[in-house]
Amino acid sequence: MRFIIIVRANRDSEAGAAPAEELVAAMTAYHEQLARAGVLLDANALQPSSQGFRIRWHDGRRTLVEGPFAQVRELVAGYTVIQVKSRAEGVEWAKRFPAPFGEDQDGEIEVRPLSITRGASK
Amino acid sequence: MRFMVIVKASRDTEAGVMPSEQMLNEMGKYNEELVKAGVMKGGDGLQPSSKGARVKFSGKKRTVVDGPFAETKELIAGFWLWETKSLAEAIEWAKRCPNPTGEESELEIRQIFEIEDFGEAVTPEIQQRQDRLRAQIERGR
Repeated sequence: MRFIIIVRANRDSEAGAAPAEELVAAMTAYHEQLARAGVLLDANALQPSSQGFRIRWHDGRRTLVEGPFAQVRELVAGYTVIQVKSRAEGVEWAKRFPAPFGEDQDGEIEVRPLSITRGASK
Repeated sequence: MRFMVIVKASRDTEAGVMPSEQMLNEMGKYNEELVKAGVMKGGDGLQPSSKGARVKFSGKKRTVVDGPFAETKELIAGFWLWETKSLAEAIEWAKRCPNPTGEESELEIRQIFEIEDFGEAVTPEIQQRQDRLRAQIERGR
């Protein structure tokens, strides 16, 4: 089973604050563990929503809306894709994820199974 | 430049309603064009949030909360990874996307950080380890 671990944004990530060196080191070490266990498929961090945009379909029309977007907690700051044998194993890896903005800050990640068929380009 | 293109969830995606044949055809065609143009680097659909979980971090504590999650519009139903030469090119491609859920829909296009963008937070040693990880991910594709 493949899972995506989604890191939710916070005010700092949305402000484009550079991550602390310890956080980058912790994320690197965690992803190396995933790679050694043979479960890592992909991982990326996203630039603040101020660099992005949305396309909205509403009343049969489409509109382009430039970032930044206000609801920080709804936004994605990064993600990791893993391949594991079971949902329990996916949740286990997620629990070992580094606190996404450092141990002194609250954070939230979401673990979601991907479609059963392999994605478009894989 | 690399982008994550996020398809926001709708009531149907959260209910596990399968897309119509017409939708699959339109999306299939659009995906083929993305692949042909070398823009498409990956993509996937997510199963409804009822199959997922959240992990909350507070100090040393980790709390697991099982789905489903109520705020449908905050949730993600799918994503693509694109690589384009410019932001303008990504906007052009996004504008051509078929309505992804067939109802009120939203796509969010977000630029991906490259390790160089983190500047001084990345020591030369971490840079090397990150390069090795990236190479390993690329080999697995």
